[in-house]
Amino acid sequence: MYLRRIFSIQNAAMLGVVIIAALVPLQLGNNQYNMVLATTVLLYAVLASAWNIIGGMAGQLDLAVGAFVGVGAFTSGTLLIRWDVTPWIGMPIGGLVAVGVAVLIGFPMFRFKIKEVWYALVSIALVEVMRVLFLMWGEVGGPTERYLPIDTWSWYHLRFNTYMPYYYILLVMLVIVLLVNRWIRDTKLGYSLLALGEDEDAVEVLGVDVRAAKLKALVIYAFIAGAVGGLYANIYGFIHPTVFSTDMSVEVMILGIVGGLGITYGPVTAAIVLVIIREYLRAKLGGELAGLYLMVYAVVLILVALYQPRGLVPLFNKGWERLKSYWGARQRERGIPTSIENK
Amino acid sequence: MNVESQPLLRTSNLTVTFGRLVAVNDVSLEIYPGELVGLIGPNGAGKTTLFNAIIGLNRPASGAVFFKGVNVTNFLPHKICRLGMSRTFQVTRAFVHMSVEDAVRVGAYNRCNERNVRDKVDEVIAFCELNDIRKRVSSDVGLASLRRVELARALATDPDLLLLDEAGAGLNTTELSAFMNLLTQLNQDRRITLLVVEHVMRMVMGVCQRIFVLDAGSLIATGNPEQVSSNERVIEAYLGKRA
Repeated sequence: MYLRRIFSIQNAAMLGVVIIAALVPLQLGNNQYNMVLATTVLLYAVLASAWNIIGGMAGQLDLAVGAFVGVGAFTSGTLLIRWDVTPWIGMPIGGLVAVGVAVLIGFPMFRFKIKEVWYALVSIALVEVMRVLFLMWGEVGGPTERYLPIDTWSWYHLRFNTYMPYYYILLVMLVIVLLVNRWIRDTKLGYSLLALGEDEDAVEVLGVDVRAAKLKALVIYAFIAGAVGGLYANIYGFIHPTVFSTDMSVEVMILGIVGGLGITYGPVTAAIVLVIIREYLRAKLGGELAGLYLMVYAVVLILVALYQPRGLVPLFNKGWERLKSYWGARQRERGIPTSIENK
Repeated sequence: MNVESQPLLRTSNLTVTFGRLVAVNDVSLEIYPGELVGLIGPNGAGKTTLFNAIIGLNRPASGAVFFKGVNVTNFLPHKICRLGMSRTFQVTRAFVHMSVEDAVRVGAYNRCNERNVRDKVDEVIAFCELNDIRKRVSSDVGLASLRRVELARALATDPDLLLLDEAGAGLNTTELSAFMNLLTQLNQDRRITLLVVEHVMRMVMGVCQRIFVLDAGSLIATGNPEQVSSNERVIEAYLGKRA
């Protein structure tokens, strides 16, 4: 029973994808541009998968990820610059500080039932407010960049002259975040979040503490985003108030929505597809006309919204089902009994 | 009637207002353990608002609600649910993207942990005869089944008192009979006290032991079905004054 659960198709598929992902740098390793791209894909995959908890499952239109990433980046970055604290400690502390911000904003918001577009407005405003705060807070932030130590290869400082280690760290983070997603999805919290995302009143009379569930989701998401923020500072080598990025917030939300709300592997799929499309378009069209790639990107998004409003993953699932039924029919023609028909 | 002396639910002078509109006006009622009670009244009489106030979705302007002797007037709905009261909604509020069994599971967590939640879901789904459609997504099961899913969801919370808001609305005659049987079963076999808001008179008169009549926010009559249906004020509320 227990072994069966470990050797499920889902786990096998996940393991396969992770192995392929782990081999990617061997192929791309010498090309720095490709490594940057692969690292960016993973970074967004981790953030969008974390977003899936509050946005996909709980149905809150969250745009605060830039705030949590920024707080995490400044926490971990400042600890490293000022006190030479390793980011291995800085990242979780960054996550905890992000949790503090999340509770500060989430508690009153859920208490007074701010949701839907209002939630979106409050959360994106948080990013801007934080950016301005750090711009004015001279001791930590301020208008000039603060540089992290420069090393060619230091695991203590988590600074390298290549993207490869960051890629692998992010891959490990992604696996953890996906496991957290699956764990939530299979427990009381996940069922509560999915249901309250559809109808808060109806779920309250079934004994679900809506405020507590939403706050838990926000806290888990904020912790992951804050920890990723710590790594983000190390990848780029400096901290500056521009890490509080509303662009990033919007991008992560788009990935979460396009992948398929509440679907564990949706954001990862969307990150792989969309970030690569975006970067490809930027590389191809960026030289022709500034901003043209964004217009084409927007058209892609609109097409997804029009024809696949429930996200990319259901589309792939449909293709998979078709393939299976086609395969099943072929087998039956040959008189071979199949076991994959009924699922 | 076999009832204990301590009421399961008691509202005392409950008043709910929206701005200057008094939706529920000074309603005091008592429901005893094991009863199957009906709540009727013309459209806009305040039945749903009364439900909302009892279960904590609306704050009353004045008055109080006691459940099992506890003053639950300012409790949030999930706390009231934990005490043993749940409800269904007039307009079905299905979790449309969730499967039937997942929706039932949401309610089952009220009294279960991760280990025994499956058994509870199986048991409730079997009781409500939803086995055939348990894997289906709630958005494509049809109205009659949707009403059952909503009932199953509430039932999974293991309530002592269940408020049903027009659970029979939109059902055809056969579906309605089946639903009435289910209610009687709930009440007699599972010993769940029921308060039923209903427009379908056949249903109310057929299964309820006692009926409250609400008109323009006020309680105008109480009694068994015969008493209520012959009450002057009730006839007046439904059909207008005699010419």
